[in-house]
Amino acid sequence: MDEPINNEGVSAPAPQVAEAEGEQSSSRVTTRAYIFGVAGWLLPGLGHALQFMWGRALVVFLAVGILTGAGAAMKGNVFTRDGNDAFDKLGYVADLGTGVFYVAARALEPGGADVSHAGGDYGTRLLATAGVLNLLAALHAYEAARGRKA
Amino acid sequence: MNGVPSLQLTHFQAFLLFSVVISIAFGFLGRRRPKDRVKYILWSLLLFLVVGIGIAWAMFPFSR
Repeated sequence: MDEPINNEGVSAPAPQVAEAEGEQSSSRVTTRAYIFGVAGWLLPGLGHALQFMWGRALVVFLAVGILTGAGAAMKGNVFTRDGNDAFDKLGYVADLGTGVFYVAARALEPGGADVSHAGGDYGTRLLATAGVLNLLAALHAYEAARGRKA
Repeated sequence: MNGVPSLQLTHFQAFLLFSVVISIAFGFLGRRRPKDRVKYILWSLLLFLVVGIGIAWAMFPFSR
């Protein structure tokens, strides 16, 4: 099959080649987006930092850090995978959303949670909020890497 | 590790901490231009406070 010739007499890539290159490039963008998303989950703000969105990276890191620190200081419940019921398991998923801060929160509470007072209950909510916020930020980093968000 | 010092917050203080931190995070994630971010943060914070206090006020008669 003849290759199309452009105005300068140079043969342009065949449509199949261009299509294959486009698919390859799209697959590369998707892979990068997944990497940024997972990085953002593991270390809050990293997904944005890798895309040079420094302001967002700093705000996400500080927001998740402040909420996790406050939740742990208020002796909120940091759920483990050995939950007794569905709510405990749901809480575990939310807490796990904080990435490395989950490990930090466990380490910051050597005496365990104290939800016998209202403060402990508020702390539990702040920890869950930190996790869900970070999952949202990781999703934002993924979408930004795919060019869907500014 | 000995853990973090204990933090005692009232319900309102915890609610305020939540509202401020989440509003700032939403503002930065949801908007790109600084002016838009500030507007979004203030508006979001105001809504958090108004809705939160409104719900608390509506539930107050059932708390006794």
